[in-house]
Amino acid sequence: MHKTITFALVILTGLSAGALAANQMVYQKGRVFSSESVSIKKGDALTFVNDDSIPHNLMSATKGSEFNLGSQAPGTSTDVTFKEAGDIQVICAIHPRMKMMVKVTD
Amino acid sequence: MPGLFPRRSNLFGTVVVAASLGAVGFASIGLGAVVVGETRRVDLGQKAAPGIDSIKSQYKRPATIPFPKENPYTPEKAALGKKLYFDTRLSVSMAQSCASCHSPGFGWGDGLAVGVGHGMAKLGRHSPTIVNAAWGAIFMWDGRLATLEEQALGPIEAAGEMNMPLDKLMDRLASINEYKPLFAAAFPGEGMNAKTLAKAIATYERTVVSERAPFDAWIEGNEKAISEEAKRGFAVFNGKAMCSACHEGWNFTNDGFQDIGLPSKDIGRGEFVPGVVKMQHAFKTPGLREIERRSPYMHDGSLDTLEAVVEHYDHGGIDRPSRSDLMKPLGLSAQEKADLVAFMKTLTSNLSPTAVPVIPR
Repeated sequence: MHKTITFALVILTGLSAGALAANQMVYQKGRVFSSESVSIKKGDALTFVNDDSIPHNLMSATKGSEFNLGSQAPGTSTDVTFKEAGDIQVICAIHPRMKMMVKVTD
Repeated sequence: MPGLFPRRSNLFGTVVVAASLGAVGFASIGLGAVVVGETRRVDLGQKAAPGIDSIKSQYKRPATIPFPKENPYTPEKAALGKKLYFDTRLSVSMAQSCASCHSPGFGWGDGLAVGVGHGMAKLGRHSPTIVNAAWGAIFMWDGRLATLEEQALGPIEAAGEMNMPLDKLMDRLASINEYKPLFAAAFPGEGMNAKTLAKAIATYERTVVSERAPFDAWIEGNEKAISEEAKRGFAVFNGKAMCSACHEGWNFTNDGFQDIGLPSKDIGRGEFVPGVVKMQHAFKTPGLREIERRSPYMHDGSLDTLEAVVEHYDHGGIDRPSRSDLMKPLGLSAQEKADLVAFMKTLTSNLSPTAVPVIPR
């Protein structure tokens, strides 16, 4: 049933169903990314989970792939879909030690 | 560093539409390379509050000073760096050294609200301490410099501070005979240049470490090392007042940037991350070691006492979009405020005097 709905929505909208696929998860507990580097396919999404006790502010300043999640409260998650191949550095604007690379492949 | 971030942010500009998929969640579409979906609540489960022993274990002093592999410690480098640090000839006026604003006598700051630069003109921000700079993740109040080596050169060159062009400085140092053998010993085959100058000063700065304080003895198990009032203050610091959300670990900082709601026009980190709301008016969280010796406080030196600092946090500061979500009225009692101050005073060590070096001539 679930798959049917997903399939129908994809057909209807002609879009990827990013949030419905089993995204790779990236966690932020203890002011540390759970992975230093993650590889995904073009068009796939990562789910950034703030499982820490304080807000984070994930963003990328990588040219062409800029994004900013703004203040992400503890106990929330956000999907980010990467549509172009390349190496994209994701950082927390608040916490300078938090850096990771998203490697997006064709 | 300014090139790292877009000056005009289109951070959300590329995100076009977020299509709701009802209870299942959200998927997003967009024409840009990155599409941000909606933010959802997730269940992290109930977590038991950590016990006092677990909290205390996060505050143990490190056993060694970290030196970067690009600039490892040698005694020759540190000795040269110390002479340079105290040498007023690093400023164009030959009247100011690094130590003028970062003096061992004032907890490695200057005791002023804001620093004083070239021509005795007031600067815009409080001179930060260099204590424990070896553990820094990023430098300056606004984080504009990535390494301590870069930081060492920044104030020398800055027109408002020491106002000394580096090529002119290297010519000046080359004319001082006693510097040549010191550079040769510290940097065999590398010579005297801005890079070796920066490496020497940074190496010396990394050796400036806060010494053991009563707090450290308590963390290591001596229950008599600090007062009951200070122990209660430590509990408030890590609990109700949430100070440790930013002032964490043995040096009491995670080097994060927060707008703590001070009434200042200075946008701090926001200059370098213009599109990120939470970085406007945000400044780097300072460590708290030797804090009792480092008044006045805050990036603008606007608060004279630790009591005033605690009052500011209890109030929560100016409520504006950039203010950290961690800033909110705390409702601390008079006893809790006094306990917090008592705790912070346990971070004062018996700093041994620093001998001013003989300067090369």
